[in-house]
Amino acid sequence: MRTLLLALCALATNAAAADIEIALTDELVEVDAGFAGARLLLFGAITGVDDPQTLDMISVIRGPDARFKIRQMQKNNLIWTPGPAHTVGPAPGLYLTYSTRPVDDIAPLPLQAEYRLDADYIDIPIENHVAAPAEKAGLFRNAFLSEAEAIGLYHASTQGVAFKTGALFTIDARLPANTPVGEYDVAVYLFRNGEMIGSDVTALAVNRAGLERRIYDFAHSKPISYGIFCVVLSLLAGWIASLAFRK
Amino acid sequence: MQLYLPIAEMPVDPFVVIAMGAAVGFLSGMFGVGGGFLMTPLLIFYGIPPAVAVGSETVQITASSVSGALGHIKRKTVDFQMGGFLVAGGAVGSAIGVFLFRAFLKTGQIETVISVSYVVFLGAIGGLMLTESVRTLFRSTDTKRPVRKRRSPAWLAALPFPMRFRTSGLYISPLSPIALGFLIGMIGAVMGVGGGFIMVPAMLYILNMPTNVVVGTSLFHIIFVTAITTLLHAAANQTVDIALGLLLVFGGVIGAQFGVRAGMKLKGEQLRALLALIVLAVCARLLIGLALPPASFFIVEGAQ
Repeated sequence: MRTLLLALCALATNAAAADIEIALTDELVEVDAGFAGARLLLFGAITGVDDPQTLDMISVIRGPDARFKIRQMQKNNLIWTPGPAHTVGPAPGLYLTYSTRPVDDIAPLPLQAEYRLDADYIDIPIENHVAAPAEKAGLFRNAFLSEAEAIGLYHASTQGVAFKTGALFTIDARLPANTPVGEYDVAVYLFRNGEMIGSDVTALAVNRAGLERRIYDFAHSKPISYGIFCVVLSLLAGWIASLAFRK
Repeated sequence: MQLYLPIAEMPVDPFVVIAMGAAVGFLSGMFGVGGGFLMTPLLIFYGIPPAVAVGSETVQITASSVSGALGHIKRKTVDFQMGGFLVAGGAVGSAIGVFLFRAFLKTGQIETVISVSYVVFLGAIGGLMLTESVRTLFRSTDTKRPVRKRRSPAWLAALPFPMRFRTSGLYISPLSPIALGFLIGMIGAVMGVGGGFIMVPAMLYILNMPTNVVVGTSLFHIIFVTAITTLLHAAANQTVDIALGLLLVFGGVIGAQFGVRAGMKLKGEQLRALLALIVLAVCARLLIGLALPPASFFIVEGAQ
C-alpha cells in the first residue's frame, strides 16, 4: 500500500518514473546460539528508465520500535553515578542506511525528513519531567543517537550498493550481533537529480531460534522452573567435577 | 568462534570465557578461596551486563562449592549444626539481597552499587590481609611469637538461648550464626559472591570456631545459600545465564586443579600477601572506574 502511494506520488511529480522491485535472499534471520551478526543480501531490478546505472539509491533498514531509557552520568562527590532515567522512544531498535553516495548529496532535506532517510529525521519522543526541561530533550536525543551509533545499531553506509548488468542491483547489508528481534521494514528509494522517482519496500523478520530461543523462552515464561533447572545443573556440574578429579 | 548468550543477549567468544573461568579457578585453587569476588568484576570488565554477571556467577559458585564441600564432608570437617543455622539466616538474607538488587536494577543504580560494595569489601579485606601478612613475613625469624588467646567478644556470650555445638566445641547462642549467615547471604546476592572471604574470618575471629571445620562449614553454607540466590535471581530478575554459568564452571574446574598444585609450592604467608595484592588490584581498578569521568556521559538501557 505504502509502495503504491509512493509510486503514485512519484508518478505525479515526475514523468520519468521508474519501477523498482526488491527482494531479500532471506526474509527470516534467525538469532541462534551461533549468531554473531548476519549478512543480509537484497536484490532488485529497475525498469522504466533507460540508464538505471546512473541513478542514486538509498536503502533504509528499520528495526522494531522499542522504548529505551537514557541516564546522564553525574559527579557525586568522588564518584560518577547515573542520574534519573528518561524514557526515549518509541524509536527504531535498528536503523541502517545504505546509499550510493552520502544521503545529503542524493536527497534534498525536505525529502530526507519526509521519508526518514537519515537518523536525524526519525521521530524520537523524549519523556519530559521536572528534572528534564524541554531544552534537555535535544541533548538526550543527540546522546541517544550517538550511543546507538557507537554500538552499531544506527549506521549510515555508502558501501554495499552495487549495480549488476542492466537493470539489476544488489545491496549487501550487515546486521550487527546486537540486532534486536522483531519485524523489520526494508525500503529502497530511487533518486535522480534530487527527485525521488521510485521506491519499494519489503519485510524482514528477525527471530530467536534453536537452543538460544529455548533457553530464553524458558527463562522468561517459567522463571521459577528455569531457576530450579539452573540450580540442578550447577549442583550436577559441581558433583561431576568432583568425580572427574577425584584422587 | 562465537556463542550467543541467551540471557545476556550478546555474542561472546566461549574460549575467552572458559579462559577467564580457568584463570580465576587457578587463583581459587591456589589460595583456597571461592573466586566469585574476582570472577564477577572480570565478567563486568569483559562487557557482560552487571546484573547478568552477578546472576550467572552464582551458578559457578554453587558448582565449585559442591565439589569443595563433598571433600570436606568425607573428611568430616563440616559442622552441620552450625551450618544449618547459617543457612537459615542466609536464606532470608539472600531473599532480601535479591529484593534490594531488583530495586537497584529498576532505578538504574545497580552497577554503581555493585562497584561500590566491591571497593568497600575488597579494600577492607585486602588491606587487612596485606598488613597482617607483611607483619608476619617480617616477624618470621622471631621465634617468640605472642600466643594470642582467642576468646569470643563479650556481647556474643551474652546472647540468649545458648546451645552446644559439639563439632565446633562451642557453647553459644544460635542467633550469632543466624545473623552472620543472614549478612553474608545478603551481601552474596548483591555482589555475586559466595562470601567465603568474609565468612571464614568471621567464623574464626567472631564465632571462634576451630580452624579445621571453618572452610567446610563455610562451603556448606555457600552451596545452599548460593543455590537459593540462583533460584531467586532467575525467578525475580531473569538474570541467570545458564550457558555463561556452565562455561565458567568448566573453565574453573580445570583451572582449580592446576592452582592447587601451584599453591603447594608457595608458603602460606607468601600466598596471603599475593592474594591481598590481587584483591587490592581489583579494588583499585573498580575505584578508578567509579572516579574517572566515564567514556560516555550518557547510559542507554535497552527495551523494557
